[in-house]
Amino acid sequence: MSIKIKLYKYYLVIEKRYEASIFYNVLITLIAVAASFIIAGLIFEILGFSSIQIYGMIVNTFTSLGLMHETLLRSTPLILAALGLSIAFRMNFWNIGAEGQLYMGAFATTGVVLLHVYYGLIHPEFLLLVMLIVSFIVGSAWCLFPAFLKTKLGANEIITTLMMNYIAILFVNYLIYGPWRDPQGYGFPLSVNFPAYARPSLPFMSRGMLMLLWSLITASLVFFMFRYTLPGFEIRIVGRNPEAAKYAGLNVSSTIMLGSFLSGGLSGIAGMITVTTLIGRLTPDVSPGYGYMAIIVAYLAGLNPLLIIPAGILFGGLLTAGDAMQYALSMPKTGAQVLQALIFLFTLLGEFVRRYGISIVRSVDSNGRS
Amino acid sequence: MVVAEASTIEAAITGAVAAGTIYLLAATGEVLTERSGILNLGLEGIMMMGASASFIFTLCFNHLAGIVASMIIGALMALLLAFFSVTLRLNQVVTGLALTMFGTGLSGFICAPEVRSSIVRTINPAVPEEVALLNQAPRLLEVPIPILKDLPIVGRAFFTHNLIVYASIIFAVSMWVLLFKTKWGLSIRSVGENPAMADALGVNVYRIRYLSTMIGGALGGLAGAYIFLGYQPFWVEQITRGRGFIALALVILAAWSPLRAILVAYLFGGVEAFQYRVPLLGLGAQTPQFVLMLPYAVTILTLIFLSFSKVKRRISAPAALGTPYTREE
Repeated sequence: MSIKIKLYKYYLVIEKRYEASIFYNVLITLIAVAASFIIAGLIFEILGFSSIQIYGMIVNTFTSLGLMHETLLRSTPLILAALGLSIAFRMNFWNIGAEGQLYMGAFATTGVVLLHVYYGLIHPEFLLLVMLIVSFIVGSAWCLFPAFLKTKLGANEIITTLMMNYIAILFVNYLIYGPWRDPQGYGFPLSVNFPAYARPSLPFMSRGMLMLLWSLITASLVFFMFRYTLPGFEIRIVGRNPEAAKYAGLNVSSTIMLGSFLSGGLSGIAGMITVTTLIGRLTPDVSPGYGYMAIIVAYLAGLNPLLIIPAGILFGGLLTAGDAMQYALSMPKTGAQVLQALIFLFTLLGEFVRRYGISIVRSVDSNGRS
Repeated sequence: MVVAEASTIEAAITGAVAAGTIYLLAATGEVLTERSGILNLGLEGIMMMGASASFIFTLCFNHLAGIVASMIIGALMALLLAFFSVTLRLNQVVTGLALTMFGTGLSGFICAPEVRSSIVRTINPAVPEEVALLNQAPRLLEVPIPILKDLPIVGRAFFTHNLIVYASIIFAVSMWVLLFKTKWGLSIRSVGENPAMADALGVNVYRIRYLSTMIGGALGGLAGAYIFLGYQPFWVEQITRGRGFIALALVILAAWSPLRAILVAYLFGGVEAFQYRVPLLGLGAQTPQFVLMLPYAVTILTLIFLSFSKVKRRISAPAALGTPYTREE
């Protein structure tokens, strides 16, 4: 199928294309990001902020060493949640619930820490391992419920996963304003500070580098799963062609359940990282919307696990820059969100360009004269 | 005793109607959009932008300006969605989410006190700064309808609200007439059921989808304006609190009929109004979070209920909902 639009002597030809080269793909993504920066700059300029200053602060985030450390920290929950989402989205299971799964992971982690701090359960040596497992399981449970409703009853997962977000956030709020509030915390809605051994660190590495390493390992595992394992193959097939998958004797329901288990679990671990590494305690606003941003990160990376890392670092940087703008330019903190949403919209536009090549052809009449 | 009970019921229904109007406006618009085959997942963002537009323009001029602005901004955002999903044929789920994120972000941005105050004072320098900085705007006044308001029970519950509440009922009824009793409605529904057939019969699929999405967006914007001007007297970030998504579930429960949407919207309004009555009953005063979970939990339960095969057989979504139309050439 092709569409020809005549413009004076030329045709604008829009044609469906099947495979674009990697170079072309990356180029489109870069153009999309650049375009969203320009539009966001215009919007901010209209609203009375200096776009030059804003660009400057964003560049600064990626060039200053201290800010880069912060960026790496903040990108980790984004990357982990986005990796989880890439699994769900490849199955066409629209898990919009990463935010809630992240909150539940944070809840589970804090639960483990409190068991240890209040009741002396769990040996400190095993604490991190237990937190990792428990946060994975609780996060995945939060995703498995909508997946169960989808596979058994056919309930629309977009709305159920979304509703589960609100419930999870309110639940964590309840805990932090209620039973889990630090008794010595002067009434602030905060849990007790996590002990140092409950916060992952390595002697020869900064926390930021450790987190980057963690993201790299997880991304490689997901990449490996997609490419070399049977479940990974099944997940890809279910998304591409569920009918063919069913015909080939594949159990679509259990594949979706497995994929959701992994998807929610990774978001759960993102929650664990947020409370242990980034904050060090449970607070009512554990996440500034990591779960939603992760959707954009996953899409920006074209659902490719390895590309999720640079995309996640970009968004971690935007968050860090957003904080800096809030202090330095007294810009509302949703400014970063506007920019991110624009990147999302332009990425989708890029998706169109990628699917349909656009070329300009000189119009030729029937006699071959131009 | 009987008198007390009657007044409790009256108050409950009044609250349900007041809260339900948010859902009714959003759902009426979304019914139209979905009947034409477009899934507008950006509704939440549209409502959010509608609320902020109504805030800013009410501060600048008056309520009417606020309401008109909210509908225009809603239609414009929906136009963007239509361009992405009708013309560019991109995935409607993802596009809608992107629009919601954009609306949420921008709404929080332009309504942050300092930014809001500078916008308001640029448009209308006569507004004093301390007014523009307040997280409040004058509320819409209640306009009780004479005679009808004196009817027992339903009188106060339905006829002592502001004008948007009455308008929402009129919109829903006229939407039903439009969809099911006119030739246009037939075209809209046919576009949502079988666009290729409609196209063959000479219906302009693209134009209908664009218009339906934009009108739906305008109603979504109005729903946002109503939350701020008519329902909740103060501004908070994230003012819609997921109601746009709940409205999407509600459209399914209403089986894509604007008339049933009235009933269903008030039902959900009842759930929301119930939240504020629970503390009065002496329950959950210490733990409001569980009560606040109610609308979301009820929405999930509704979706589960709708998925049972007995129910499912009786309602059917527009066949082409969510699928872009390409004319084969």
